[in-house]
Amino acid sequence: MDTTERDWVTELTSDDHDVRQGAIGDLRTFLVRGLRSAFLKKGVDEAFCEDIAQDATIRVLDQIDKFEGRSKLTTWAMTIAVRLAVNEFRRKRFQDVSLEGLSGEDTLRIDISSGHESPDANIMRTTILETLKSLIEDLSDKQRIATQALLEGMPVDVIAEKTGSNRNAVYKLVHDARKALKKGFDQAGYDWQDIHTAVGTGQ
Amino acid sequence: MTLSNEQLNILMKIVEGTTADSIDCDGCFGRIAEFAELELAHKTIPEAMDKVRNHLQNCPCCQDELNSLLDALASKQEPPA
Ligand SMILES: [Zn+2]
Repeated sequence: MDTTERDWVTELTSDDHDVRQGAIGDLRTFLVRGLRSAFLKKGVDEAFCEDIAQDATIRVLDQIDKFEGRSKLTTWAMTIAVRLAVNEFRRKRFQDVSLEGLSGEDTLRIDISSGHESPDANIMRTTILETLKSLIEDLSDKQRIATQALLEGMPVDVIAEKTGSNRNAVYKLVHDARKALKKGFDQAGYDWQDIHTAVGTGQ
Repeated sequence: MTLSNEQLNILMKIVEGTTADSIDCDGCFGRIAEFAELELAHKTIPEAMDKVRNHLQNCPCCQDELNSLLDALASKQEPPA
């Protein structure tokens, strides 16, 4: 096992064509192997791994002046490859899912009717769900839609793509909604254990 | 759209687990390579990385990416030396 770190930056930017191409080929092979190991089990094929590794290698070469050396270059390159792979994988998985059905008054609707058999537990459940309902009503439309989409299993980057936004903005939208709901429950004086018991969540 | 019991369950869990988060997904991405190397080496994650850890706890998408990254890096291969 050789643990010495190659001088990747020098090799990948070398004026010597053979040195540069050798390093590029080795990096690409390294990325393909990593992608196979992480993504074949998710149902992608070899061609997916090869294509992503190719794109990632091009990005690494494009952005190499931004590499700060805080990790190994190979680790940094793998983060770029994995992010490309995850984005592509999610995009394909959700390509036919529309957000249109998620907008409108019905978004994040809470069904209060069905509950526990014991009347006492039912009263607590109803009270807590009424609180949740009113806290949800105070959220913005955008917050409700993004939160509902997240609960449908849609990742933030996919929601961003479908709403013409960006990942950071969608993350903030949902995070602010979560903070508002948490603050609302805390201000109402509920204990989280009681909430989970009454609503039947948290198992 | 009425939330299913399962969705209500997830919502309550993520609401309860929400903490202040000082970075966003890009901020997390900028430090994730170092974070993954520390994890793979079973080293203690320094306090300077708390922001990253905190974001990962709040952001299932970044956590999912970290898991894939750890899988990719842990595959039985050494970087070509
Ligand atoms: Zn994130």
